[in-house]
Amino acid sequence: MLHSSGAYQTETERKQQRRLFRNRVLAAFALALLFFLILLARMAYLQWFNYNQYHALAEGNRISVEAISPVRGRIYDRNHVLLAGNRPVFALKFDKTKINDIETTLSELGTLLPNLPAHRFDQFAERFQKASIHRPIFFSYTLSEEEASRFAVNNFRFPGISLVSKLQRYYPHGKAAVHALGYVGRINRRELATVDPARYAGTDAIGKLGVEKQYESTLHGYPGVQQIETNANGRVIRKLETTPPKAGQDIQLALDIRLQLYIESLLADQKASVVVTNPNNGEILAYVSLPGYDPNHFVDGISQSRYQALLSDYDRPLINRVVNGQYPPGSTVKPFVALGAIEQNIISPTKKIFDPGYMEFKGHRYRDWKREGHGLVDMHDAVVQSCDTYFYELSLDMGIDMIHDQLYPFGFGHKTDIDLPQESVGILPSKAWKQEAKGENWYTGETIIAIIGQGYFLTTPIQLAKAISTLANYGEIVRPHLNLAAPSPDKQQIPIQRIENWDQVIDSMVDVLRIPRGTAWRYARDIDFPMAGKTGTSQVFSLGQDEEYNEEELSDRLLDHSLFVGFAPVKNPEIAVTVVIENAQIKAADMAVKIADYYMNELRNEN
Amino acid sequence: MKIDLPEKETVYRQNRGGLEMFHLDLWLVLLLLALAALGSAVVYSASGGDEELLWRHIIRLGLAFGIMVAFAQIPPNQIRIHTPWIFGAGIGMLIAVFLFGDLGKGAQRWLDLGFVRFQPSEIMKVALPLMLAWLFAQNTLPPASKYLLLGLGLIGLTSGLIIMQPDLGTAVLIAASGLFVVFFAGLSWRWILSAMVAVVGSLPIVWHFYMYDYQKQRVLTFLNPESDPLGSGYHIIQSKIAIGSGGLEGKGFMGSSQAHLDFLPESTTDFIFSVMAEEFGLMGVLVLLTLYFLVIARGLYMATQMQDNFARLTAASVVMTLFIYVFVNIGMVSGLLPVVGLPLPLMSYGGSSMVTLMISFGILMSFHTHKRLLSASE
Repeated sequence: MLHSSGAYQTETERKQQRRLFRNRVLAAFALALLFFLILLARMAYLQWFNYNQYHALAEGNRISVEAISPVRGRIYDRNHVLLAGNRPVFALKFDKTKINDIETTLSELGTLLPNLPAHRFDQFAERFQKASIHRPIFFSYTLSEEEASRFAVNNFRFPGISLVSKLQRYYPHGKAAVHALGYVGRINRRELATVDPARYAGTDAIGKLGVEKQYESTLHGYPGVQQIETNANGRVIRKLETTPPKAGQDIQLALDIRLQLYIESLLADQKASVVVTNPNNGEILAYVSLPGYDPNHFVDGISQSRYQALLSDYDRPLINRVVNGQYPPGSTVKPFVALGAIEQNIISPTKKIFDPGYMEFKGHRYRDWKREGHGLVDMHDAVVQSCDTYFYELSLDMGIDMIHDQLYPFGFGHKTDIDLPQESVGILPSKAWKQEAKGENWYTGETIIAIIGQGYFLTTPIQLAKAISTLANYGEIVRPHLNLAAPSPDKQQIPIQRIENWDQVIDSMVDVLRIPRGTAWRYARDIDFPMAGKTGTSQVFSLGQDEEYNEEELSDRLLDHSLFVGFAPVKNPEIAVTVVIENAQIKAADMAVKIADYYMNELRNEN
Repeated sequence: MKIDLPEKETVYRQNRGGLEMFHLDLWLVLLLLALAALGSAVVYSASGGDEELLWRHIIRLGLAFGIMVAFAQIPPNQIRIHTPWIFGAGIGMLIAVFLFGDLGKGAQRWLDLGFVRFQPSEIMKVALPLMLAWLFAQNTLPPASKYLLLGLGLIGLTSGLIIMQPDLGTAVLIAASGLFVVFFAGLSWRWILSAMVAVVGSLPIVWHFYMYDYQKQRVLTFLNPESDPLGSGYHIIQSKIAIGSGGLEGKGFMGSSQAHLDFLPESTTDFIFSVMAEEFGLMGVLVLLTLYFLVIARGLYMATQMQDNFARLTAASVVMTLFIYVFVNIGMVSGLLPVVGLPLPLMSYGGSSMVTLMISFGILMSFHTHKRLLSASE
């Protein structure tokens, strides 16, 4: 059938087919002719009948379209204190179509305004060359009143440069809450490719990090359009139609700037994260990542040297520790593990285990933090005194996958979905995880250290905050969020086997602070409200077998991290506090108690 | 009686001298060269006298013409035999793009083979008409309904895969080139008219359920360019100003103020026609449209001279594809059609679409110049 030139055909068929094809070609020819005549008619309409109109538009006068940038929405704290606003500044706007030699123009400008940062001219010239002709280019320098008026007088010498007053982002509290707010900066090519360019016409700012980035489309607004009639030299003849811009919407955050500032001053000079949430709804009252930096430096384009200093700072101020810092959670996971064990009937809460200061397993000695051991301990004592050996024994009965399954619903090992653009996942180890990540089998020895929050186990402070909020809530899962208006997902509840189990775990966490044996008792002696919590320490380097550990010999960088999770008051909790202090010389528990005290005694009464 | 001629015994008539010796068609070559020359001049002017760009353009043109000449040497039988394979490979690559294609500008169109990166949809611009012509040439024309359905299925498959990239513009153009084959194969007028009514009737459904926001935006902008003076509406406004201000005689070579003052976007590529219209006026437009029209007329004439259905259908469809390109591009820049990113064949700077076009012209010339002495098998 698949003959070299088709099927066999009779002479009549061939003639018929040729006739059919010729008819079709004639029809196609007629179609093409018709459409070409339509095109010609269109051209005659444009070039002949409407010539005068278009000639006028093109030659004598031209209409140029200018975008009017919208006012960016402001960001407030929960009590309407301004966290990010806009302030008017003078700036120089360059029109690429009217500047031939940018180098000469800049050097003349430098003579007129000697205070301009001339060392940035090269960088600017390069940016200018690469920029699109359709967008205004702003020289990233904010002129003083005096410079502005001096330029205005000499403006005629600089065709293509105009003095504009524009609104610029301003963060009145400087460093405070910078990792939550983020900042706006100059929009770059990569970002321009991901947004609707028409919506960003006339703007050179876009949210780069934090809430500013997360809620960019809410905050940004829509530009207006101004049609301007200019002559061939670009002189404005008159302004035509104006469509006003639509300002961006304001955002109100859950943050309380007073609490935020209190915590930041309390932990000044530390490398630390603090998250304070309302456990009932996930609202974040304080979001502290230290050290911070001043976002105002980024708005106008940060100088190279300043940026380099931030980058090379050994304390890494640019890192958003709350969502991107990943730490072994240490003993802070013990209440969660204990709860899982008694809910799963692995152990009775009253069963006592003897702790000689270590547990022997396959010839290895797994040491307790307390060398001489805690003696006979039950679950309550194990949490209160943070007894490692109790949990070592428990780990053998639970196995890593049960530990994983009990901890996962609290938020460990997956994103909390906080309303910020970047969030690390952390690691909640399991057999499946190790097989996938490392292609290796799980060893029981790894379970023993995982159960006390060491080994592969990594969490972010925001995960800890979500977990402690969930525990305080008796298993009702809330999503931590900064924006008060953020939609909350459907409520989820961790299944409860026996409510008494939850009571018992929370009671033991109360005694961590209440009774002298408790690991945080000495910091909480003076508080006048009930608080529950759990301390934790995570090792920065691992101690070898039977090695002694001498705090004084270690350099500051190798000191352990100090952690604390807790909530207050115990009945109907209002705040959950998570504190992580890197290479701590002060204790997280101490700070958390002070923070809770400040909230309970200073803020609560005023609200 | 049925006479089978094995492939190797197909005998082609000895060509008479001149260009036919190289399997080229004198008229077509002259017309294409004239268009290319005009195009080079306008590219040079639109770029503001950029000689480097002009040289790059000329080198690409030379390459494209070379490819055309090379394809003209391939005997039609060879093309025919390989058609199903080429088409199959093209479909395979479209699927590969879907599975592991590069994302360029948010659309998944490119296939990276390590040494070369290209758009398989370009191949399909030639492969689909060839495949349909091959299919319909299996039997007498007009095709029986089973061939017709199979053909429409292939058109649907090809354009469907391209729509998913998503590249609606190219999908529509490729579907059109396939539908031209169906048209030339002799689909009855009744069906054609019913299909047209059906398409127009289904437009609201397509609009509501099958179009992306950016595609809807383009259509809305086209209907009212002033609604989007900062986006693509701006392009159309400026393009119309450029064309209209050219008047009858134009502003002269290198006289396009709109392009030189950078009011006109993409002036060397998609909007090159506007520059030409501004510089050479309605007279120049008339010359250009005449050149294109002559190419189409000559091409269609050549199609009628061909000896078998495979050659006829391919040739006529390829010519009408050029027509579509020209009409859509000029219609777009003059505000008759929505903005679709489509170059003007042989005029616009660069582009892989020029290579595809010249391949199809090479095939056209091969069909025209390789005439069999014996046509008993037809």
